[in-house]
Amino acid sequence: MSAMLLNKEKWPDFVGKLTGKKLWAPQGKGEEMRFAPVTEGEAPALEYGNTRVPPKQAVFPQTETMFRFQLGGEEVEVPEPEEETVLLGVRPCDARSMAIVDNLFGWEEDDPYYFKRRELVTLVGLACSEPGLNCFCTSVGGGPASTEGLDLLMTDLGEHYFLEAVTEKGEALLKEAGDLLEEAGDDKVKEKDKKIEESAGKIKRSVDHEGVPESLPGLWDDPLWQSVSASCLGCGTCTYLCPTCHCFDIQDEVEGFDARRCRMWDSCMFGEYTLHTSGHNPRPTRRERTRNRINHKYSYFVDKFDVIACVGCGRCINLCPVNIDIVEILRQVKEAI
Amino acid sequence: MDLDKLRETAAEVAGRDDVKYLIGWKKGSYGYRIAPAFVEDVEAAAELIFSPLCTANLATYLTLVEKLPLPRGQEPDDRKVALMVKGCDSRAVAQLLAEKGIHRDEVIVIGCPCPGMVDPDLLAEKYPETEEPAELKWSDDGFVIVRDGEETAVPRDELLAEKCRLCRYPNPVVSDIMLDDPVETWEPAEDEGVTEIEEKEVDGRWAYWQEQFSNCIRCYSCRNVCPLCYCQDCILDRLNPTWVNRSVNFSENTAFNIARAFHLAGRCIECGECERVCPANIPLGKLNRKLAREIRDKYGFEPGLEPEGEPFQASYKPDDPEDFIL
Amino acid sequence: MKTNENPYIPYFATVEDTWFETGGERAIKTFKVVFDDEEVRKNWSHRPGQCAMIGVLGVGESMISISCSPTEGEFLRFSVMKMGKVTQALHQLEAGDKMTVRGPYGNSFPLEKWEGKHVLTIGGGIGQAPMRPVVEYVKANYEKYGGLTMIYGARTSGDLCFKNEFEEMARDEELSCHLTIDIEEEQWGHNVGFVPQILLDVNPSPENAIAVTCGPPIMIRFVLENLKKLGFEDDQIYTTLENRMKCGIGKCGRCNAGNMYVCKDGPVFNYATLKEIPEAFA
Repeated sequence: MSAMLLNKEKWPDFVGKLTGKKLWAPQGKGEEMRFAPVTEGEAPALEYGNTRVPPKQAVFPQTETMFRFQLGGEEVEVPEPEEETVLLGVRPCDARSMAIVDNLFGWEEDDPYYFKRRELVTLVGLACSEPGLNCFCTSVGGGPASTEGLDLLMTDLGEHYFLEAVTEKGEALLKEAGDLLEEAGDDKVKEKDKKIEESAGKIKRSVDHEGVPESLPGLWDDPLWQSVSASCLGCGTCTYLCPTCHCFDIQDEVEGFDARRCRMWDSCMFGEYTLHTSGHNPRPTRRERTRNRINHKYSYFVDKFDVIACVGCGRCINLCPVNIDIVEILRQVKEAI
Repeated sequence: MDLDKLRETAAEVAGRDDVKYLIGWKKGSYGYRIAPAFVEDVEAAAELIFSPLCTANLATYLTLVEKLPLPRGQEPDDRKVALMVKGCDSRAVAQLLAEKGIHRDEVIVIGCPCPGMVDPDLLAEKYPETEEPAELKWSDDGFVIVRDGEETAVPRDELLAEKCRLCRYPNPVVSDIMLDDPVETWEPAEDEGVTEIEEKEVDGRWAYWQEQFSNCIRCYSCRNVCPLCYCQDCILDRLNPTWVNRSVNFSENTAFNIARAFHLAGRCIECGECERVCPANIPLGKLNRKLAREIRDKYGFEPGLEPEGEPFQASYKPDDPEDFIL
Repeated sequence: MKTNENPYIPYFATVEDTWFETGGERAIKTFKVVFDDEEVRKNWSHRPGQCAMIGVLGVGESMISISCSPTEGEFLRFSVMKMGKVTQALHQLEAGDKMTVRGPYGNSFPLEKWEGKHVLTIGGGIGQAPMRPVVEYVKANYEKYGGLTMIYGARTSGDLCFKNEFEEMARDEELSCHLTIDIEEEQWGHNVGFVPQILLDVNPSPENAIAVTCGPPIMIRFVLENLKKLGFEDDQIYTTLENRMKCGIGKCGRCNAGNMYVCKDGPVFNYATLKEIPEAFA
């Protein structure tokens, strides 16, 4: 892994080197920040904080056409994959979520749509120097400078960005930007390490999940599920904004004779998600749905892929309209075990 | 408001044999957060609060209950639900009663006269949230933020929520128990947000909403939080036939948002919850208030004021003006 | 086997024959279908217990049990109850029409492991659909098994699927075939009573036997109870689960019962495994 320095003054030139690829970066202000295409010729300023909607949409769009066809026809046409895309300023938690979701989409057989995009997307991460109030990545296997899932990681050192290539794609980016970069000396490496350590120290919240994956299903009938879900509105905010939530629905949509089969994000917090056609619902209330959401992230997924399906980004806590707080739920779970 | 009185009253109500639970507000898990509280026993009433952070309209829980088929031989639990309401929340209750979405004997309404809530986004922007719980109080001319034992006075206009600036009914319009004397009402502000959109040309309005609806992620938090969106079988969920496609794009998002707005015309009580919970920050309040304004101007009707009244659009009088038909 | 690189792209198949098993609002119609592509037809292999996503382009897909045994020939059979949007569209199909098929999905009954054992199938209503391939498979390989007992019931004789086949089986003295309906009817020459009760009446020996059951949840509950009464151990009992499904390949998330995805870890479950999953019978 090579480590380089980029003087921030040369940031626009660095971005300029990426022409020919689609560029996405967090845009907008504060709470409303979201990943959006960068206007050609512009270099996005990377700010603190994280986007409301995670960048998972770059590899798993909210709505994706799987194939098109004519009603009554027998030919299906799969849309061509899009061009190469570089995501700038991805937070380590969000990149890590993709590495986690890779497990599921690659389980026994590859999901072609997901992996096609995954190949086309380069993730340029930005280490967090100012973690958010509800960040708890350090307690679920991540960290403010975790490189898992990233191709390249940048750390803000004031005047410079400290650049570390993680994958070949990242190395290629560094090579392309070659003349803009300078070797990072040991002092800069130390400065970066110190910065990251400081940042990790600013993370206040944490979950203690020791023993949770094994014990969680055993709390099946615990009253805690009723109490933590009593106020749940049953909306999709927590799941849609979760970078590791990957559930989808498949629907055929028809306009005249033009039709397509597409998939779109779905949420386990919706009653319809598990509703049988007969009217029977194996998860009839928000209690069962909440229980499933937590079990899925902290037990079932661990069972199958040996990793917790939660990266501690805090979005579900920040944006839940009724303050359902996964850290608090895990605290109660731990207490009940 | 006297919190001791609130908790005492709540404990008394929650302790009654004919009460299933009482729904009120309690401190959330951190910072400024507030969480709905479902108080089933007397002790839990001690957690209840009423502060300028209690924006949530809890009336939605009256109709959000998921009823399961009863096991054989089990009697239905028809005990009452007690609900704490602000002025706007009480209008939701009144509207539900008028529509017979709930029945008067199913609910005990505990009224909290409301001097106005803070806008949680404004608050967090100006006085950044910390992990430690913070409290807010009302003062004579504004709000007081209490954090780490320190008090910061903030003028009312700096933080008052938009829905409260526009509010005409800060005192509950329906209640069984009132926790305080009515607050003095204030001159509602001009609804500039709506006027601004009205003044745009059609193209401009279209462009405005196009941008907004394109951001919608269809999480349905607006629908679910809305005390008056309580259809058992929502057209958005129907697949057979599919009225609104599941695809998330401008066209379908618009169909959804417009359908919801129209279904709320003459029913929306302007509690602003849809806008508060929207993770995409869509100014849904403007949309619903525009329709409320139309109905007020054209029909002189305001929903959620008369629990016994006839719901607009669900009643007919022979002398109804019908010039719009021709 | 020729597989599509993209597992979501279905194969086209032509309905060769179709008939109604039952009538009424929730009629059950059986489709015998043949893949259009000869290579697909040659290379397709499924095992009893597996399912396929069948559908109509422009309407959608449903996960349906493959109700024939591979021993029957190069075709597939699906028995579909008219329930929702997709199954209503499927019911419109007649011989010569096209449907789409992808799969086969899920695990299957471990029929090799059962060789030498007596196989007991206990089905109710449409729940006989995944049982039928087991029955056909054992019949086709009868010398390898210790015998076959089939118990199948429905509310009325009009609600029984695959009636003609079973009538024939009931006359076969080598097989132990028991049909039942809930309420007495004229001209009904078989048992009357609920499936779990008939199970007790038939009184099969648990010795060197395997029991497979599928049907309405309430029936399964009492069948399991009665199998235990008869001395069957948990690991001698198999059943199949169903849940709402979309992808069929363990990606879309919704069909899980606890930590098991019905589409991949199921639909066939051994009762010893299943009883550890709290959500299995939800």
